Amino acid sequence: MHFDFDAGKYAVYVWPAFALTAAAFVWMIADSLASARRWRREAERLQAKRDETKP
Amino acid sequence: MGARDPHHPLDFLTNPERFMAFSRWAAPMFGVIAAVLAAVGLVLTFAAPEDYQQGDTVRMMFIHVPAASLSLFVYLCLGVASFLALVFRHALADAAAVACAPLGAAFTALALATGSLWGKPMWGTWWVWDARLTSVLVLLLFYLGYLALRSALEDEQKAARAAAILALVGLINLPIVKFSVEWWNSLHQGSSTLFAKPGNGLPAVYAWPMLVMSLAYLSAFGSLWLVRIRARVWRRKARALALQQAEG
Repeated sequence: MHFDFDAGKYAVYVWPAFALTAAAFVWMIADSLASARRWRREAERLQAKRDETKP
Repeated sequence: MGARDPHHPLDFLTNPERFMAFSRWAAPMFGVIAAVLAAVGLVLTFAAPEDYQQGDTVRMMFIHVPAASLSLFVYLCLGVASFLALVFRHALADAAAVACAPLGAAFTALALATGSLWGKPMWGTWWVWDARLTSVLVLLLFYLGYLALRSALEDEQKAARAAAILALVGLINLPIVKFSVEWWNSLHQGSSTLFAKPGNGLPAVYAWPMLVMSLAYLSAFGSLWLVRIRARVWRRKARALALQQAEG
């Protein structure tokens, strides 16, 4: 299998398109995971606090 | 009317506890599928020959077309979830709606940016006020308007209802985007994938990377959507606990 990474005169358009796509996916993954982690920890913290104060 | 079957196979879509149990394994599973498909898709992308007209810019199609398809599909998900949230006032449906909007906005922005980068060398311009490009820009504005409305109002329920109505209005734009190249004279080419007219379809050497990358994008969306809905469920639980504790 032959791979062609030389985009020649179009490299200035091709590589930024792939870089933008990679950046968008990195943002979507990081933001989704960070949001899930943040709210899971907050819910667990408040749940633990409530369990502590239960008579 | 009989009592609702507690073990209905679709309960995981309506019962938050069952949804959390389902998404706990489904989200990473879709993520792994997306990573494998993306790796295979990239191999096929850079192994494909140059196009006789587009040259190396043909490789941009394998990231542009899936982003454009997902921009429409995600908006359809947003519309259906908004409808269910508005009519049945279901918390999971509202979580599903708000969770997919940022992802849809990102796919739409990607479709516009990669399309623009392809348009400059192929059409000789970054942008034209053409029916397809303009309607996709309007789609991005609907996503951004939805997100702005959700965060603009302090009353979350009012914000959710207003944003859901906006999302439903925006559904009108989907057939306009899809059929714009047929209804008006457009610089943008017609479909060469699923709905291609006879003779307009892609040859296998380009159809395979397009199909694999499209499935990779779809799986990635599935995984991230589930992760974001899980975040909304935890957020709702945290808010309820905080309120309980504030009330003493």
